Amino acid sequence: MTAATALVTSPAPRISAAQQRAERMARVRGIIFAVIGIAAFSIASGSMGSEVTFRFWIQEQGGAAWEIHTAAGLLWILAGVTTGVGGLHQLWKGASVSWRRWMALALPFWIAAIIGTLLAGKPAVMTNLFGGSLEYAFPIAMGAFAAMICERSGMLNIAIEGKFLLGACVASIAASVTGLVFVGPVVAIIVGVGVGWLMAWMAIRHRVDQIIAGTVVNFGALGLTNFVYLRILQLNTDINTPPTVEAIKVPLLSEIPVLGPVFFSGTPYLYIALVTMVVLTYMLFKTRWGLRLRASGEYPNAAGTVGVDVIKIRYRAMMLAGAIAGFAGSYLSLHSAGSFQMNMSAGKGFIAMAAMIFGGWNPIGAFGAALVFGFSDATQTLLSSLGVDVPPQILTSVPYLVTIVVVAGLVGRVRGPAMAGVPYEQG
Amino acid sequence: MRLELREITKQFPGVLANDRISISADRGKVLGLLGENGAGKTTLMNILSGLYRPDSGEILIDGQARTFTDPADAIKAGIGMVHQHFMLVPVFDVVASVALGAEPVKGFLGTFDRASARKRVVELSTQYGLDVDPGARIEDLPVGVRQRVEILKALYRKSDILVLDEPSAVLTPGETEELFEIIRGLAAGGTTVIFITHKLNEVLEVADTITVLRRGRVAGTVLPRETTRAELANLMVGRDVELTVSRAPAKPREVVLDLVDLAVRDDRGGLAVRGINLQVHAGEIVAVAGVQGNGQTELVEAITGLRRVDSGSLTVGGEVVQNATPRHVSDMGVAHIPEDRSRDGLIANMTVAENYILDSYHRSPYSSGVRLNRKAIAEEASKGVREFDIRTPSVETHVGALSGGNQQKVIVAREFSRPVKLVVAAQPTRGLDVGSIEYIHRRIIEQRDAGAAILIVSTELDEVLALGDRVAVMYAGQIVGVLSSEQATKEAVGMLMGGVH
Repeated sequence: MTAATALVTSPAPRISAAQQRAERMARVRGIIFAVIGIAAFSIASGSMGSEVTFRFWIQEQGGAAWEIHTAAGLLWILAGVTTGVGGLHQLWKGASVSWRRWMALALPFWIAAIIGTLLAGKPAVMTNLFGGSLEYAFPIAMGAFAAMICERSGMLNIAIEGKFLLGACVASIAASVTGLVFVGPVVAIIVGVGVGWLMAWMAIRHRVDQIIAGTVVNFGALGLTNFVYLRILQLNTDINTPPTVEAIKVPLLSEIPVLGPVFFSGTPYLYIALVTMVVLTYMLFKTRWGLRLRASGEYPNAAGTVGVDVIKIRYRAMMLAGAIAGFAGSYLSLHSAGSFQMNMSAGKGFIAMAAMIFGGWNPIGAFGAALVFGFSDATQTLLSSLGVDVPPQILTSVPYLVTIVVVAGLVGRVRGPAMAGVPYEQG
Repeated sequence: MRLELREITKQFPGVLANDRISISADRGKVLGLLGENGAGKTTLMNILSGLYRPDSGEILIDGQARTFTDPADAIKAGIGMVHQHFMLVPVFDVVASVALGAEPVKGFLGTFDRASARKRVVELSTQYGLDVDPGARIEDLPVGVRQRVEILKALYRKSDILVLDEPSAVLTPGETEELFEIIRGLAAGGTTVIFITHKLNEVLEVADTITVLRRGRVAGTVLPRETTRAELANLMVGRDVELTVSRAPAKPREVVLDLVDLAVRDDRGGLAVRGINLQVHAGEIVAVAGVQGNGQTELVEAITGLRRVDSGSLTVGGEVVQNATPRHVSDMGVAHIPEDRSRDGLIANMTVAENYILDSYHRSPYSSGVRLNRKAIAEEASKGVREFDIRTPSVETHVGALSGGNQQKVIVAREFSRPVKLVVAAQPTRGLDVGSIEYIHRRIIEQRDAGAAILIVSTELDEVLALGDRVAVMYAGQIVGVLSSEQATKEAVGMLMGGVH
């Protein structure tokens, strides 16, 4: 070849292999959705006769009620139509159609149809279902906030579960011994801060792998609280019978028909979670503290070279997260249970981490995600309390199944703080 | 302000990184600090920016001795650093990146006063002619603009002494010129600038005085108008160096590497290589020029079997090799000198001998059945060490303990120890001293003359011009021009690298 000058500019290929794959996937998804939609119709034809009642208490439990009556078949038809149309849309237009949006539309109908069919004529008390979702969401949301603060600062904190257990255990003892309910959360916060500091000290000072440090705390907390329960609390039940945190009716707001009983008649925990969400959002994204915290998690060297003390930020983040997680732990034993039980957190600390990811490392998103998990928990409680014809083992596994589906399927590509879990080295 | 470092000494385990180094820079002047990797430049700058503390010696600002215990002290004293690897948070916008660490706040919660920070950024960027969009996200900005953000960061902190560490490493020739303009402007405004580099031309162009470091010591201080490239190279290396290896004209023969409409994706799924057509013939060197991040890395990975080809075809000696395994590619006689030698080229914790056989350990004479033949390995590796002049205590030394130049020689020795049809060399001399560069270049030209087809990918314009029989310029994933060695001038290639054609 002679030495030729050629301004060779070849156009980019029109459709690449990856795009083709995405298109193929979209068509397959469309067909599956359409088939599911048709399947819903066949269920509908068999259940047109069975009635479903959704009941809302207007003012209080057991008082006047507002009810929606419908046929289970109708719900199945709505579920089928939304799913089927979404599937056909996807099949027709390909990958450019957002299937997640169609799913968000179809999902409520599916849930209503399934619940309605399972209840077989018994009324579904929606006030309890929604109110319960909020209550169950509390520990998950707070755990997600705690984990989020750590990850935003560049620390990986998988020990939310352990802090829940420790918080629950000490809160119950402290409140029982003193007879004062508020002492429980205070002691739980102190223990949480201590555990947070311990983890930070292991991970920062001694460079222990943060996953391992978290695992140590989780198993340590489980073993320790089991021991305390079996050897101490079971023999002295008087130090495991704390006063419980009672619901507070917010003046005026709790009078609002239908909405009042759902949103404004909860325990102080619920209101604290909402306040924490708002304050944390502001602190993370609008203040100097938040700016430096996020810089430490995204690119600690950038913060370090302008004189920001990354190590101090990370210690403080771990301790603050410990306080939040410990406080959330106190809910478990001081709220409905009224005592500490072995392994009573039952994986909620890990579900909290799922909520953090699903919520995109953002307090408002995490709270929304926590509501999804709370709803699945409340649904399970509703169904088992009404004694539906489903094995209880399957019902209790619903929240965990929802977690798997959400994390594996619904969370698309999300990007967390870049340097979470990477030790910081100056220079 | 006048900056002076006196007799700075810093000892690390096993290395005397700075040995009684004294430098000084006057107000409004540009001091060029020239030295090779490992000469002690970075250590010296880390001392100046408060990241390290010297074992002895002192830092004087306007004649006053200062001690820095952390970076905040150095910033307070008026020293602003522009690091080689930008210290910017990719997901922050320009305002937040500039203000980080010195944020204006209001209210008891410490609310970040974005409006007033933004006002300062805009003021400074107009005052110093540093054009940036204050609301843009860092990760969306081209590197040249990111560098301006870094300079703004220093100015925002009212730095009178600006230290730039290898600032041109990531810039196009055009952007480098702009940077020099900015530096001259800052100096004219009274800022003291310390410009650290290993590039001879740059210090000659921009510095008022040049201090050369060699192995932790000051090798000499000279004025640009009283010195030459050859003298500076001599000071840097300690002996005379041939800066451009001479070579005979190429005698191209049959096509070896043939790329047709090749498209490759990066890790994030975006198209990094957007339909490239290129042929490399036996007996010629094609040098691919371009600023880092224009798809060169992905191109090399696709050719060597490390990355999937999205569409198009890729043949070596007529055989289709797209999406072949790296071993298959290597067995076909493709030698690969990777861009990042510590990540893709060598295993630091393994010995020279083990690294030497990484691509052929599974073959006779190195192994029989499941056993490695240690004796044959040591013998062959010793032969390679002798032949390629690798300075190592023994073949049983860990590769990580060798200097960068010798590490690169281990890779070259390994890759050239078998029959080679095609050489793919990415940044073959990055971070090497002038002496090692000379050696590696000579070896590559030898391979060409022996009949191999050679594809060099380099961001160093000097290297591209020194080696390329043809120069292909890559920009935004495409080849925007192919020039013969006569047509390939600095200006012509530089224009194409910046996307102008």
